[in-house]
Amino acid sequence: MELQLGLALPTPNMLKGFDLNNHGLDQLKEMGGLEAWNKAAGCFADKDCVKSKRSFEQAFGNFTEECRTKPLLLWSGQPNEEEDHKDQKKATFSTTDENDAEEDDQVVGWPPIKTWRKKIFQQQQQPRVGRAENNRVAENENGRSIYVKVKMEGVAITRKIDIKVYHSYQSLTNSLITMFTKDKECNEDDYILTYQDKEGDWLIAGDIPWQNFVRSVQRMEIVRNWG
Amino acid sequence: MHKKMAFSFPDEVLEHVFSFIQSDKDRNAVSMVCKSWYEIERWCRRKVFVGNCYAVSPRMVIRRFPEFRSIELKGKPHFADFNLVPDGWGGYVFPWIAEMAGAYPWLEEIRLKRMVVTDESLELIAKSFKNFKVLVLSSCEGFSTDGLAAIAASCKNLKELDLRDCEVDDLSAHWLSHFPETYTSLVSLNISCLGSDEASFSALERLVRRCTNLKTLRLNRAVPLDKIANILRHAPQLVEFGTGTYTADVRPDVYSDLAGVFSSCKELKSLSGFWDVIPDYVPAIYPVCSKLTSLNLSYATIQSPDLIKLVSHCPNLQRLLVLDYIEDSGLEVLASSCKDLQELRVFPSDPFGAEPNVSLTEQGLVAVSLGCPKLQSVLYFCRRMSNEALVTIARSRPNFTRFRLCIIEPKTADYLTLEPLDVGFGAIVQYCKDLRRLSLSGLLTDRVFEYIGTYAKKLEMLSVAFAGDSDLGLHHVLSGCESLRKLEIRDCPFGDKALLANAAKLETMRSLWMSSCAVSFAACKLLGQKMPRLNVEVIDERGPPDSRPENCPVDKLYIYRSIAGPRFDMPPFVWTMDEDSGLRLS
Repeated sequence: MELQLGLALPTPNMLKGFDLNNHGLDQLKEMGGLEAWNKAAGCFADKDCVKSKRSFEQAFGNFTEECRTKPLLLWSGQPNEEEDHKDQKKATFSTTDENDAEEDDQVVGWPPIKTWRKKIFQQQQQPRVGRAENNRVAENENGRSIYVKVKMEGVAITRKIDIKVYHSYQSLTNSLITMFTKDKECNEDDYILTYQDKEGDWLIAGDIPWQNFVRSVQRMEIVRNWG
Repeated sequence: MHKKMAFSFPDEVLEHVFSFIQSDKDRNAVSMVCKSWYEIERWCRRKVFVGNCYAVSPRMVIRRFPEFRSIELKGKPHFADFNLVPDGWGGYVFPWIAEMAGAYPWLEEIRLKRMVVTDESLELIAKSFKNFKVLVLSSCEGFSTDGLAAIAASCKNLKELDLRDCEVDDLSAHWLSHFPETYTSLVSLNISCLGSDEASFSALERLVRRCTNLKTLRLNRAVPLDKIANILRHAPQLVEFGTGTYTADVRPDVYSDLAGVFSSCKELKSLSGFWDVIPDYVPAIYPVCSKLTSLNLSYATIQSPDLIKLVSHCPNLQRLLVLDYIEDSGLEVLASSCKDLQELRVFPSDPFGAEPNVSLTEQGLVAVSLGCPKLQSVLYFCRRMSNEALVTIARSRPNFTRFRLCIIEPKTADYLTLEPLDVGFGAIVQYCKDLRRLSLSGLLTDRVFEYIGTYAKKLEMLSVAFAGDSDLGLHHVLSGCESLRKLEIRDCPFGDKALLANAAKLETMRSLWMSSCAVSFAACKLLGQKMPRLNVEVIDERGPPDSRPENCPVDKLYIYRSIAGPRFDMPPFVWTMDEDSGLRLS
């Protein structure tokens, strides 16, 4: 029953390196996992705010009123799962199994081609130029640098970073903290890092393996932690 | 009589005799003859090979072999190459480096495969081993160019730095400039996996120029075509060379420069690289083709006619890696031109496409098997196969030692008869008596495993996917394959019975991997309880296995023999079943 909603328990390990999220991590532990997820999803359905892909505002604006105690557990677009017939293996179950969101109905790890080689094939098959939206500012043809906009709540300037430069959530957040504390004095515990993925959904950074995150992040926003 | 003879030789003589024995198997056998041979052998073993880094602890290795100079370690299971092992599973090299750094400073060689290597580890290597010579990292991850800079800066006697298929955090290409200007001992450099754009060409050129003993140089994709000539000009003694990207605007001066420089490389035997190839520049390598024994075109997206022309120039080819653009027609040419061919790997250019994009079928493999008398190792991706073809291949090429066939669509039947491919693979194991490694694919029933158990007596490694009907299949393999060391299985209906019935067999193997099969949690617990010398790891990202009924199948199972006991560096999604008949969480 609990898996019907396709919720993946983010293992504490995945969130570990991510300082900004520590609040949520504690709460997650307290609440003992699955019940909390069920509750959160129920909250969603009640609010009826999930018929289609929502904007960031909707996602977090409505939430924080109803689900104050668990802001970090929310998974945008959850009840959509039933209706969402796009063949999307969207980071639901064990996300590390997903080779690449592009191979939607592929069996994991099949055909047995080394990750390294697969990367080259994909770079050769699909020059990524076409995919660029405003947010994914620039991407070299062979995917060397991927520039992504990062906005911080309350800060006028939107920055651009090359996500390829980082190898983990930890290194990313460290860098962002350094960058943004120049703009706005803040306590890093008060903020959460969120990102918009390829489908336009806003998610909390840290739940999926780093490599998958790099492939799907379109832009990021650092928001206040209402918890 | 024997005992007298053994003691009549002074230790030094025995040691000298043992020094001619290089293979681990032989050394292990030598050490089992008697106590004194064990003692002598362990003091003079210079190379240690640990096939599974968790089978033994660093301390145990150091205690037994106090004076080794070279170590080879392997970490993650093979299926990690295909993303089946979640990130964070393990395979950390740091504890090994730390122990070795403490034990002795004269370690010279470290070879690692599928391990997590951090910059900290690399820095420790650089700091601790004054005579460090060889670092080979194969399919490793976790480090950045900062770690490489530390190695470059400190290892004055470094001869070999080989990063093959590694995931490196490419922060800056300037790490190359950390090799001091006085450093000249480089013999082999493989940086093909690095991605950095702003490759420091001048540092690379200077390095190549002053290292006159350089024999192997494999560049990364970022090195443009017009830079290759400059680099090769200073290294005509190269035996193995990997280009960077092999594309540029077609210019006659660049072309002739390149062709000229290749002509001057009289020792060149192996070529690789060739990312983004444009056909116009391919003939530049024709001057060296007649001497080539190894050619890796597996990133070269050129079509069959160009591949055929190229391959026709290489009569001495022993090893070819190529994309399926070569097609059946190209493989037929290969079969007639390259009679010395020993190893062939054909990779799919469009593995995820629903329809074939090239005309490559089982016929290509048949042609090469018929035409190349020395062919012994094959990795072949294709979209259709027949029992008839496999039988022909087996009969004509009984000298196969490695046969890995991947029919892209799981459970594909014989396209001619629509039957399973049991008989075909059965022929392979029956005729190829020296077969050491086999990968199966296509529609297969328990019958193929019966053949394998009956005939594949020298088989050491078997990879199985989407095959079999019942536990009987697994039972055939575990009970019949006497030489089996590694077994990896995914998506097969194998459950508890065969596993438990053959539990003892598992102690004679290095490891068993089973994912998306039907082994229950209860069986895993039982196995862990009853077999203290096995580490039974349940890998399950859905949550603790005891949060579900006991008879629920586990997601992934990795069983390996170990004298080091359960490990303590497991992530939250890995549980070791042990004698306490409970769970051990890290």
